[in-house]
Amino acid sequence: MPDETVAARAATTGDGAAANPLREGLSEDRITNPCSAVFFGASGDLFKRMLLPALYRMRLRGTLPTDFALVGFSRTAFDDDGFREYCRQQLELFMPSGAKPQGTLWEDFARRTSYVTADFNDTSHFAALKDRLAQNDRDFGTAGNHLFYLSTPPPVFPEIITQLKKAGLDKSQNGGWTRIVVEKPFGTDLASARTLQAAIEAVFPENEIYRIDHYLGKEPVQDIIALRFANTIFEPIWNRNYISNVQITSAESLGVEERGGYYDHAGALRDMIQNHVINLLALVAMEAPISSDADDIRSEKYKVLSAIEPPAHNDVWSVSARGQYGPGTIDGSAVKGYRQEQDVAPESNTETFAAVKLYIENWRWAGVPFYLRSGKRLPRKLSEIAVTFKPIPHRFYGESTDRIESNVLVIKIEPDEGISMRFEAKVPGPKDHIRSVFMDFNYGTGFGVQSPPAYERLIGDAMLGDQTLFTRWDAVERAWEIVTPMLEVWQNTKDFSFPNYAAGSQGPESAKKLFSDWRHL
Amino acid sequence: MNLAPVLDEMEESFRERGCDANVATMTIVVFFEDPAIGELARERIRRLASKHPSRVVLLDGTQGDAMHRVEDCTWIELGVKESAPEMMRAAVATLRAADAPVVLLWIARGIGSDPRFSALSADAQTVVYNSSLLDTGHDALCELAAYVERNPDVVIADIAYLRLAPWQESVAIFFDGKASLELQDLERVEIACGSEPEAFYLLGWLASRLQWTSESADALTNRAGKHITFEIDRQGEPRRIARIALSSSQSRFVAEIDKSQETISLQVTGSNEHGSRYRAIENPGIAALVERAILWGQNDRIFRAALAAAGEILAHTKG
Repeated sequence: MPDETVAARAATTGDGAAANPLREGLSEDRITNPCSAVFFGASGDLFKRMLLPALYRMRLRGTLPTDFALVGFSRTAFDDDGFREYCRQQLELFMPSGAKPQGTLWEDFARRTSYVTADFNDTSHFAALKDRLAQNDRDFGTAGNHLFYLSTPPPVFPEIITQLKKAGLDKSQNGGWTRIVVEKPFGTDLASARTLQAAIEAVFPENEIYRIDHYLGKEPVQDIIALRFANTIFEPIWNRNYISNVQITSAESLGVEERGGYYDHAGALRDMIQNHVINLLALVAMEAPISSDADDIRSEKYKVLSAIEPPAHNDVWSVSARGQYGPGTIDGSAVKGYRQEQDVAPESNTETFAAVKLYIENWRWAGVPFYLRSGKRLPRKLSEIAVTFKPIPHRFYGESTDRIESNVLVIKIEPDEGISMRFEAKVPGPKDHIRSVFMDFNYGTGFGVQSPPAYERLIGDAMLGDQTLFTRWDAVERAWEIVTPMLEVWQNTKDFSFPNYAAGSQGPESAKKLFSDWRHL
Repeated sequence: MNLAPVLDEMEESFRERGCDANVATMTIVVFFEDPAIGELARERIRRLASKHPSRVVLLDGTQGDAMHRVEDCTWIELGVKESAPEMMRAAVATLRAADAPVVLLWIARGIGSDPRFSALSADAQTVVYNSSLLDTGHDALCELAAYVERNPDVVIADIAYLRLAPWQESVAIFFDGKASLELQDLERVEIACGSEPEAFYLLGWLASRLQWTSESADALTNRAGKHITFEIDRQGEPRRIARIALSSSQSRFVAEIDKSQETISLQVTGSNEHGSRYRAIENPGIAALVERAILWGQNDRIFRAALAAAGEILAHTKG
């Protein structure tokens, strides 16, 4: 028989048990750690629409640990059976046909699901949670490994964390691991983010904190690293010598829907730019990490964000633009303005559109503007990163009337996922006419599959202890520092032009003054 | 074999597509000799190519050399019934997508002896075989084990082995944590399966991972010299494992497919007793397995070791 490394694999692990030599090389060995996952806010929208379906898909794909238990923890009153029925109903609604809850797998999933009706301020409810987790360890072999997922409204986070500590749930009693997943937004400004961080780090060390930004779980976002560092043709020109500007856009055609109450206190800068968009900027602009280890990648992201000098308060108006949508037309239908939306103040000063120009003051990017924009009720849903290269240095070819465009590399994130490249080509014929052509790679047609939902990947990574796709505190703090001047100036200045763009338009005129070459939405 | 009309049709088809950009991740070369399998192969390869855009060259061993068909410049069928091996190799060299790797799907017997396989595999970056497709016995697996032993550098994957992934995972689950200590104490393995290659692969995988050596037609020996008896029972659907049971002096570990054929139930009795567990079997289709072969199966050393161990066990069985 071939000489394998069984002897090495048989070395004991930390808990005294021998390593399992059968694990080596298995293609489906992503998540083997048993665990109980506790979802705070389990009766909420995020849980039923995203988190629960992600968990059940993981069960169907066989990636969820077989020794798994789910505990819902929320204010809504349920007993265990009631919560199981609630979960079944939500899965019926949100899972596609062919993946509905039924058969042995559903029965097993339901058996491992329980619920604690809770007041987040009541210590006795956390004691009940502790008992439930101990029972799961006994009944379902979850080995003292606990994943706490905060999917409640953010103001409740500190209280939950304090109560976890009081109940002794910050450390597993059975030698297992404890991890806490914190949903965005992480704070509402720099001060509140620091306060929240202080509350969390008083209880959990950084290597147990998973700050989730579901954008980072999307395949095209992960593909940014592959594009840059698994190819040789881009990196040599990925700098100020060849790149003229970078535009990062996250546009939505939807309005605030039922989130008016939340959004009116947040706005586009907090809701999108501070987290999703700045995370994209970091991935596009960071230096090559020395390895794929989570902290090596996250250190590079932090370093590049540290090289961004937040604007002085006096300069805010020259590097940013804001807008608020009024009534307009989307896809041929009339839609109301922001101030007419449910739970929005009639004289609201909240921006539904934000555009910012930033510079990264380092050797690679000095002088290259990064334009960030995000907005609601724009003509279509679109997330992309457009890297525009510098014009050719000397023109000798083409008819004099021809316009020679700069090359543009577009990383498409939503709704199309892929990469597009614009370059110039000769028009066939006797004349030397030149026109732009586009070379498109779409994941949909390139690999013929839909990317797996982001939450599935992220929950799996948290169970696995892989923090690569989660944001480290230093980067979160830096992102808040970058947007703080805009937040403060905007907050303290009433914009009497609001609403200043019609729903379905390209955004406010002020954004065009910031940058005339925004890509058309 | 005259490729001129094929190339003309490809060019015409390319012109008709206009300026649409084309993505090609590989050239898939498929060889088959059984008409029934050919139809199956066409359908599965289409599914694979829809996910991994590819140029497909289908070498149809049931059709004469005059037959050819070109579809959309990415799908080419050639009759190769009378073609010499070198002619087939040259045709593939002409028709393959430039700069994209060639994957050979050999859906026929004779992997170690057919000169057409030797010719086609010479230019392939990956060979994908299926040792349980043509019959449920173990001859094709023996042939593959012998071929790979003689040609250690060939990059090859076997669909029959890749199909085992959920069973390997299920068996591995039994021995996570402290239960791993029982691996040294196993004394019997029982496998029920509809085809022999999957069963021998599963046994070979266990043997290679645990350093068991083949001792006789129904026993292996572990590193401490302890005997492990085994039994392979032909039962259930072809190409599907129905059950695996492992026994030590203290515990019994049973992974078994349930009636729905969609779930594996895991039961442990004895000193390591554990509550019932279930995992999705998620039987992937051939297209998904071929994809897995291309992405992950290439010269996987765990697979090589399992194949070698299965070959040794089979040598005793046949002997």
